[in-house]
Order: sequence, then C-alpha cells, then structure tokens
Amino acid sequence: MNKAPIEMMKEVNTKQEQARYTRAFSGFWLNLWKGNPPGTFLLLVSLLTGLAMLVPLSYVFIRGIQGGVDRWLNLLDTRIPILLYNTLSLTIVVTFFAIVIGLSLAWLVIRTDLPGRKTWQWLLALPLLIPPYVGAITYIIIFGPRGWVRDWLGAPLFNIYDFWGVVFVLTMFTYPYVYLITSAALKRYNLNYEEAARAAGLSYRHVFIKAVFPLLRPAIGAGAILVALYVLSDFGLVAMMRYTTFTAAIYYQMGNYDQVAAAILSVVLILITLLFIWAEAKTREKQRFYQSKGTPRQAPLIELGWWKGPLLAYASIIFGLAVFVPLSVLAYWASVGLTEGVIDQRFWGFAWNSFYMAGMASLICMFLALPVVYMKSRNPSIVSTVVDKLAYAGYALPGVIVALGIIFLFNQYIPFLYGTAALVITAYVIRFLPQNMQAADAALSQVSPRLDEAARISGFRPWQVIVKVILPLVTPGLLAGGALVFVSAMKELPATLLLRPPGMDTLAVRIWVDASEGFYQTAAPAALLLILLSIIPLRWMLSKY
Amino acid sequence: MKKSLGKVLATAFLGTALLVSGCSSSQPATTTGSDALEETKELVIYSARNERFVQPLLDSFAEETGIEVKLLSAGESSVNRIMEEKNNVQADVFFSNDTGAMEYLRLEGLLQGNTSQALNIIDPMYRAEDGSWVGLSARTRVLMYNKDLISEEEIPKTLWELTDPKWAGEFMITRGGNSSMVAHIAALRAEWGDEKTKEWIEKVRGNAGAVVNGHGDVRRSVGAGEFKFGLVNNYYFHQQLSEDKDNNVGAIYPDQGADGMGAFVNAAGVALIKGAPNEANARKFIDWILEAEQQKFFAYESMEVPLNPAVEANPIAMRIDEYKVMDMPLQELGPVWVDVKKLIEEAGLDLDL
Repeated sequence: MNKAPIEMMKEVNTKQEQARYTRAFSGFWLNLWKGNPPGTFLLLVSLLTGLAMLVPLSYVFIRGIQGGVDRWLNLLDTRIPILLYNTLSLTIVVTFFAIVIGLSLAWLVIRTDLPGRKTWQWLLALPLLIPPYVGAITYIIIFGPRGWVRDWLGAPLFNIYDFWGVVFVLTMFTYPYVYLITSAALKRYNLNYEEAARAAGLSYRHVFIKAVFPLLRPAIGAGAILVALYVLSDFGLVAMMRYTTFTAAIYYQMGNYDQVAAAILSVVLILITLLFIWAEAKTREKQRFYQSKGTPRQAPLIELGWWKGPLLAYASIIFGLAVFVPLSVLAYWASVGLTEGVIDQRFWGFAWNSFYMAGMASLICMFLALPVVYMKSRNPSIVSTVVDKLAYAGYALPGVIVALGIIFLFNQYIPFLYGTAALVITAYVIRFLPQNMQAADAALSQVSPRLDEAARISGFRPWQVIVKVILPLVTPGLLAGGALVFVSAMKELPATLLLRPPGMDTLAVRIWVDASEGFYQTAAPAALLLILLSIIPLRWMLSKY
Repeated sequence: MKKSLGKVLATAFLGTALLVSGCSSSQPATTTGSDALEETKELVIYSARNERFVQPLLDSFAEETGIEVKLLSAGESSVNRIMEEKNNVQADVFFSNDTGAMEYLRLEGLLQGNTSQALNIIDPMYRAEDGSWVGLSARTRVLMYNKDLISEEEIPKTLWELTDPKWAGEFMITRGGNSSMVAHIAALRAEWGDEKTKEWIEKVRGNAGAVVNGHGDVRRSVGAGEFKFGLVNNYYFHQQLSEDKDNNVGAIYPDQGADGMGAFVNAAGVALIKGAPNEANARKFIDWILEAEQQKFFAYESMEVPLNPAVEANPIAMRIDEYKVMDMPLQELGPVWVDVKKLIEEAGLDLDL
C-alpha cells in the first residue's frame, strides 16, 4: 500500500515522539523510585490495596461536601455542638484515667516489690481480651436500672448510664493499652538518669517526675493515642450505655439511610481523629530524649514498705473490676444458658459465620500485607510511602465510616456482590489490615536487604525473591498478624451490624441483639467464646510491646 | 518477561478474589425479568419485628416447605434499606410492625400487588387496596399504669389530658422516631390537623418525666414504679402482666367516651416486595402465614391481638371488638408517614435519643 508522504512523515514523527515520551517517562519512573522500581505485580497489588483503603475516606469527603452548605449549617447548628462536647469530653476524660491507671499499674508491677508481681504483669493485661461492649453488658446486668443491685437493694444506687458510668466502663477496658506499652518501656529504660537524680539527693517523688516520667513520655503518648482512637471509634459500648458520640450518631443516621448527614458527621469525626494524632505528635516533638540502648543491669526493685497492702489492694480492685466481675457475670449467664440448651445448631451456625468471615479477612490481609510492606522497605519512593500511609488509615477509621463507604461502593458498582459476605469481609480487611502490616513490617525488618540482592544476582526474578526467599522468613510474623486480624474481626460490631447479609449473623451481632433485648443467657456463651478465642494471639501481642 | 510473570500472579490474585466472592455468594445470582416465577430454594425476609416473635414461625415454614429462610432483623431501618436497594432488590418479604411504613413503601412503588384469596379473611380496613401488604395482628395504643402508684379512676381518660400540667413528670413516652409513636402521631394528625397535633406534642414532651428509646423501657420502668404511667402498645402491657415481678400494672384504652375518637389501632403485618428475587416463595409464605394456626402463633407469642376475629386471642388481651377504635383505614397513614417525622421534630420531640 502506498502511503502519502505526509502521512508517512506523521507516522515517523509520532513514533519518535512516542519514543521520546517513553524515554522521558522511564526516566521519570526511575527517578521516582530512586532507580529501583518494583515489579509490576508488586506495584499492582500495593496500588489496589491503597485504592481500596481510599474508598471510605474519599466517599465520606465527597458525599459530605456534596451535602451542601445548608445541611452543614443545619448540622453545625443542631447536632454537632452536642456531639462535639459528648465526644471530646469522653475521649479526654477516659484517656486521662487510662493513663493514670495504666501508668501506675505498670510502675507497680515492673519497678516495685509488689507481691506476685510476675503474675500481676499478665493478669493486668487481660481486660484487653474482653470486647468493651461485652464489658458494658456485664455492668448493665449488675448496675443497670433493672440490674442485680436493684433486685438486692431495691434501688440501683446510681445511674450507670450517666457520663461517669460510661467513663468508668470504658477506662476499665482500655487502660491496658497504656499499661502494656509503658510496662515495656519501663523494662528496657536506662537506669542511669534515675540514679543520677537520686545521687543528686532528690526524693523518689521528684525522681519520678524529673527523670522517670519524661523518659516514659513517648510510651505514655503511644498508649494514650490508642485509647483516644478507641474511644473515638467505639460504637458498641457507648450505644449500649446510651451515650451518643459521633460514631454512635453516624450509626443512627445510617439506620435512617440519611447518608449525607452520616457523611458530614464522619468528616467531622475524621478531623477530630487527625487532631488527636497531630496533638500527640506535636507534644512529642517538643521533648526529645535519647537514652543509650539497653541496660544489662536489672533495675533494683523499689521497696513498698507499708504501702504494700494498699497498693496490692489497688491492683486487685482494678483486676476485679476489669476482669473478675465481667467474667463471673458472663459465666453465670452462660451456665443459665447451658441448662436452657441455647448452645444449639443455630449457635454454631453463628459461630461458623463469624469464623468464615473473619477467616477470609485474615487470609486476604496476610496476602495483602506483605506486598505493601515489602514495597515500602525495598522500593522506597513517594508512591510506596503514600500507599503505606493509606493502608494504615484503617486504624483510625471507625467501622461505621468504613461501612458507609462500602455500602456505596457495592450498591453502585458491584451490585452482584451486594448482599453477600463480601461486604463484611472487605470492611474487616480495610479496618484490620494495619494490624497485619505491623506484624509483617516487624518480621521483614529482621530480613536484610542483602539477602534480596544475593537472590537477584543468582538469577531469581523479583517475584521469586518474594515467594522463595522472603516469604519463608516472614511467615511466622504474617501468621501472627493474621491471627490478630482474625480475632479483631470476630469481635467487630458496627460494620458487621450494618453490612451483614440476611441470615448471616455473627457471634458479635448475636451478643449485641440478644443483650439489647435482655436475653443474657444467649449472649453470654457467645461472649465467652469470643474471649476464649482472643487468647490465641495474646501471647504474641504481649511480646510485641 | 515482566508481563508474563505479572499475568501469572494477577491470575492468582483474581483467583483468590473470585474464590472469596464465590464462597460468599451462597445464593445463585438473582433472576430478573422472567415471566414465570422461578423455583428458588430460599426466601429473604427483612423484619422490623422483634426476632423472638418471628424466628419460630420462620423455622416451622422452613421445615414444612424445605425453603431456606434468611432473616435480617434490621429494625426500623428496614424501610429505608428497602428503598435504598430498589435497583438491586434483595428482600422478598417485609415483616413490619407498622402499616404506615408498609403503605408508604407501596406509594413509593416498591411493593407488589397480591390477589391471593387468602387475604380476604382480614378486614379491608387492615390491608392494602392492592393486597401488597396485609395486617395480621392489632397493636392498640394504651396508657399502662402502675397500680401501686395510681388508681384507674385517677388515670387520664383521653390522650389530650396528657397535656395537663398536673401530669408533669409523672409519665413516660418513647422518642419521636419510634415507629409506633410515628404512626400514632400520624393518626392524631389526621384527626386533629397540624396545629393541634403540634401543640399536643410540645406539651406532652414538656410534661413527660422521661423520653426513652423503646416501649420495652417504658413497660419495665412503669412496672418497677419509676413513673406512674406510660404510653405504650397494648401488648407491652400484656408482657408486663406476665413478668415474675413488677407486674402490678393496669391499662386503659383512651378516648372511649361517647364522643371520643377511640383508641388508635395499628397493625403488624407482611408486605410483598416488588422485584423480589424469590417471588414464588414469598407468595407461598404470605398465604401460609394467613392460615389460622400461624395467625394464632403470630399474635400469641407477642401478646398482640389477631386481626382475624375468628382466631382466638390471648386470654389476657382485650378482643379488638371490645373497645372503640379510631375509624380510619390504616392505608391513610401512608401519605403522611414521612412528613409526620418532620412535624414531630419541629414540635421539639427528638426522633432519636
């Protein structure tokens, strides 16, 4: 075929241009990755993960902004001030008490001669096993308006549903975050400063304020931010105790299918969350302490003297309130349930639904965590950093917001999967992937990049490096992370409530529904089963901190 | 080189994704647009009703027919959920406690007409004109009181009397968004008009000693003597009577005087969803539940009163023909159902706590 010369010229031109663009692009590409771009598949999986994580965030912001000035002003006028007050006061007060209790207990069990301190060290971490909404149920059973106390004494003594009741129950089940992290810091902190302060003649109270506390500051901050983020995202406990925070309000708006109001409230909640994270980082920035690593010397135990009795009582009371009392109440109602035969086929059906959806989520998380973490560590660039940060967003995103984005995504774009377990599983992955990534990250940091290079030199392709070299080495870490995801997903309540397909209630949903209707004999066995399952990854969690 | 390995791994990834979706969608893809109703093996029910009153019925239906029944107890959000899913219908049948909600869905074009003869045993006043929904049991609004605190003579005899300042702090109501409360206020509005209804809400809100989430809270608190009386549906009174403790309670049906408007009767019932994926099973289920035996169970278990007078009522319940009822067909609640929430909110009664 004859081509007109002009056309041929054009063709040549476009070809040259293409080549130029390709060159320019590959130059840009290499630059972006600092000369070390990741394999296609690695990049694809990571980007997909990042995008999936972006769904709830972008949906909420777009829908919230689309809501228009009127809806915003209306909500700012009516609901937002009250919600803001409720949410902030609760978060701040609970975080404060969690720090007081967590820090004091950590100091007692690590630094003093408290009798049985080794046993206390793990006993006092146990409240972490009890989902806070289960804890709330047990306290409602005892102190509620029609609870046991009212049956024994004729009056409930106090209103468990008021602000301080909510603070008390939340604190009991969140202080372990501060406790665990500060315990770990106390174990490995450098004694020199403390001894110097002592040598300078300060009393122990001053030593603590001037030398111990500042060194623990980062650990306390890390624990406190976990507590604050938990309080901000909690739905089950506050709803059970009839206290309305942003998260609860978003849930109720979703019940009315007022997605715009839900999105607007979500935007405010996300801003508050960011504010807390920023404030914590800010206070840390101002104070920087360096300590030379590890003291081989065992820190001398502080003798409590006559304080031993009262402090032992203090630890026992916290343990009693946070572990013994709730477990006893559950055991009582579970035994009632067992004699009534509530552990039937239906119960195991719910258990299977929990197991199936949480299991799927944990498998997917194990699959997704490694590429993201690996890319961040081995192919550092702005892209891998953004993907990594995005993947961590699930940590701070309350389940209700995740659910909001997912309903939209599936209803609009993936209708054939709408109404299936895929929605719940996706929500779990978005929520809990960070837990798996932390584990994968920790495991991967133990593997030297030299190993990758050696494998590449001996002719392995990039994916072979991951599958044949890295994977076997990080598998224990991935599995530990997967176990953590599994347990968190089993306990997850708000997203499951909103997304569960018909006929697929989980144990957490049954606990919620049955307890709301006062059927504790069916709620308690399910709650105990969840608590037992949570023991699986606890060992790993304790050793992590 | 990279392409081929990319392909391999992408296939693996997609495979996993498909496995997940395959496992999770245990039901076959929904069938659409077929003329004959296809035989399916399941039935999806959205329910706003307390699960305890629904599950045993569903179990026996499943046992009799071999159809797998999937229940989603979505509470009051069921209505909005059905609306949200209108382009991607999931539910076959809606179990509602409130005919206002069902008629509202019908007016929105989300229900399917039903000409089954089985519906004829229910008074036309308690079913949709096209048969798309049908009431099964009556829920009458009553004032339940604690006999230790107040006598039958003292208790208000009309709803309007609740606006009297002498009752300030003495009684309980539920939040404005409770479906029974919404329907009741819709009925009052049809009777009284907007202004008088708003005035009633404002004053009652001011007088109420407590505004709580649900009627279960009202009955337990009145039973326990926290307040003298409360506005509830009659079966909450029946339930409180059957408690082991705190059961010294009575109830009066309001507005029974010669020129009184009568008590408001709402109905719980079932509706057939348009575009139901398992329509044949849904129709079968509605016919089945209208059989006398099921009606009896439906009403007995929850202590409501069967709308079919031929079906025996729970002995502690007053039969529906023993008191004066508002003479308004329940269909009339549908058109006002949504705005009434606005009216409630404007009058200062919060929809949610």
